[in-house]
Amino acid sequence: MNYILAFLFAGFVCGVSQVVLEKSKLTPGHINSALVIIGCILSGFGIYDKIISIFNAGATILIVNFGHSLVLGASEGFLENGIIGLFKGILINSSAVLSVAIFSAFIVTLVFKPKH
Amino acid sequence: MKNEDYDKLVKDVIKEESHIKNFFIAFFSGGFLGLFGEVLSEWFIKMFSVSVNDSYLYVSIVMVVVASVLTGLGFFDKILSLFKCGFIVPSTGFANSLTSAALDVREEGFIKGIGANIFKLAGSIILYGIVFGIIFGFIRGIIL
Repeated sequence: MNYILAFLFAGFVCGVSQVVLEKSKLTPGHINSALVIIGCILSGFGIYDKIISIFNAGATILIVNFGHSLVLGASEGFLENGIIGLFKGILINSSAVLSVAIFSAFIVTLVFKPKH
Repeated sequence: MKNEDYDKLVKDVIKEESHIKNFFIAFFSGGFLGLFGEVLSEWFIKMFSVSVNDSYLYVSIVMVVVASVLTGLGFFDKILSLFKCGFIVPSTGFANSLTSAALDVREEGFIKGIGANIFKLAGSIILYGIVFGIIFGFIRGIIL
């Protein structure tokens, strides 16, 4: 059942973004930024936590989850240290994926030559 | 041949791809990635007995690395034209935007090329993520 739920949620978000991408003149960059902002908003009111508890990895592989992990870290830092905690904590949860993405992008750039 | 005739000809030759078909392509490819992520995360929990939250991290890391390598090999553009948004919306799209931006300017050097351009596409995700993350992190800290 977990597998089906993960499939449905990830597929639904991807399908809807595909339709939005085609019906409007937005680029994939717009879509991804909008999804991150949506993730921040949903997480700000605690909705995305519930989505993850239902759909598991289907919800965490999406870029929406980047916004959620930022908000989660910021709010935890805020509860611990006040205003400075917002800025200290914001990247805590997402820094692993972010750093790996940047690091692997750099290594791949060094190793491979662009193909046109 | 008049311009209007030409336009008509172009329209006849290039058939508009149907939105419904593309919706289902994106639905199944994105759904497949979600399913794959779920399988992988349960495998990580079983094999390495990591916590649930960490297993999600490992899944994302695996996807990011695989997407970077595929971009470097030149396969990812073909995957994107086949499966569309199904591979843009998951974190694979984020890794692809970083790697492809860096690969394009590889010849221009480390600072002015790779350093200046690697965040050309992914920068907006990080910028708006942090700006809105601060705002809604504050809100979440107050109301929850």
